[in-house]
Amino acid sequence: MERELISKKELLDEKGISYGQLYRWKRKQLIPEEWFIRKSTFTGQETFFPKDLILSRIDKIMNMKEDLSLDELADKLSPLLPEYELRKSEFEKRNIVSQVVLQRFASSDEAATVYSFERLLYFYVVDKLLLAGEMSMEEGDQLLQTLRDHFPKFGDKPCDLVFVRKMGVSSFALLSVPSEIYYESGVKLIARLSLVECIERLKGNLI
Amino acid sequence: MESINRLDLNIDGVSTASGGDYGKVKIDGVGTVEGDVIAEIFDSNGITKVRGNLRTGEMDSDGIIKIYGHLSAGYSVVDGNLKVIGSVKAERFKVNGVLNVGEDCEIEDLDMEGAFDVQGLLNVGKMNVRLHGKGKVKEIGGENIQVRRVRRSVWGKMVTWMLPKFSPELHTASIEGDDIDLEYTLADVVRGNRVVIGKGCNIGTVEYRTELKVYPGAKIGKEVKTGG
Repeated sequence: MERELISKKELLDEKGISYGQLYRWKRKQLIPEEWFIRKSTFTGQETFFPKDLILSRIDKIMNMKEDLSLDELADKLSPLLPEYELRKSEFEKRNIVSQVVLQRFASSDEAATVYSFERLLYFYVVDKLLLAGEMSMEEGDQLLQTLRDHFPKFGDKPCDLVFVRKMGVSSFALLSVPSEIYYESGVKLIARLSLVECIERLKGNLI
Repeated sequence: MESINRLDLNIDGVSTASGGDYGKVKIDGVGTVEGDVIAEIFDSNGITKVRGNLRTGEMDSDGIIKIYGHLSAGYSVVDGNLKVIGSVKAERFKVNGVLNVGEDCEIEDLDMEGAFDVQGLLNVGKMNVRLHGKGKVKEIGGENIQVRRVRRSVWGKMVTWMLPKFSPELHTASIEGDDIDLEYTLADVVRGNRVVIGKGCNIGTVEYRTELKVYPGAKIGKEVKTGG
């Protein structure tokens, strides 16, 4: 499926922002370089953006820029994993992830165990899919293992999680974005999650 | 943060040094640095080459400098000729002379006098250019953009003798910004909020939101008022 695009002009009109603002946000790395898509049209070269991504990003910037400086915003929106750690007991208290998940997947860890942001992210992703009712507990184990084994390999690059099932057999995959994926018939796509978005959300909850 | 006392790098005369993480780099004469350089202060006089990326808080370059990678600088003053094969990222950038950039430029405050050639997009907060020679850039985007041609002074004559023989004009495909004030500019499209098209301009299409001023003698193919 082709991603829906919005032209620069439409974007500025719809959101009521100026060229200057857009370029300033780009300089501050609030809008990723990859989102600027150049295409030739009958009026010459024009710039387009992935519509859903850019619209939600601009809402986010406009909502948050009251309280935060652009640099702080850039930190918040950066796709990089923050150097953030949290004790298990603290994490439980903050109620970001449901108790069930911690009991099921982290019962062997002591309360004083320190989790890296990455570990917190894994719990968060598992929790998200469980709450959506799309995944069983057993599959949660499988997902955690997949994330542990493969997520670090992406480094700073953005990736998506794909969760499919065929005839009751489930399977997970991580893929770098942007990428397209086509399945054989009979495969049901249960969920596709952008981990970059998960990182952003979790960051918003924690920090 | 680990606090290490970084070493300084000094080159006098003709010499080559290796890249690395330095406190202050000072090059007088003909100096080459092999590899990436990180420096708090980068000060060069003469002919300098950096065979890698240069990242510095402050840069003061007189003479000719060529950077084979990307340049990232805080406050910079360049008198002479700067050539960057990669991209440029800077806070304040002042150039008197010739600027050549192979990829995109992102600069908060650009103050330039002379000539330039930027192959990529020039993204600036504030841009103030006084042309002595030809300015060429693929696209410009930013907040305040001002282009002027300098009257030939005695000093100007000397500089034009140094510069390639081109008429002092800015050539670009598009300029987009909030406040745009142009002279001697050739562009396909100019889009802005407040736009002034001055002497010697030849613009294909001008799109403006609140205000457009056109000096007699400036050529515009099409004027469009957009938005509210």
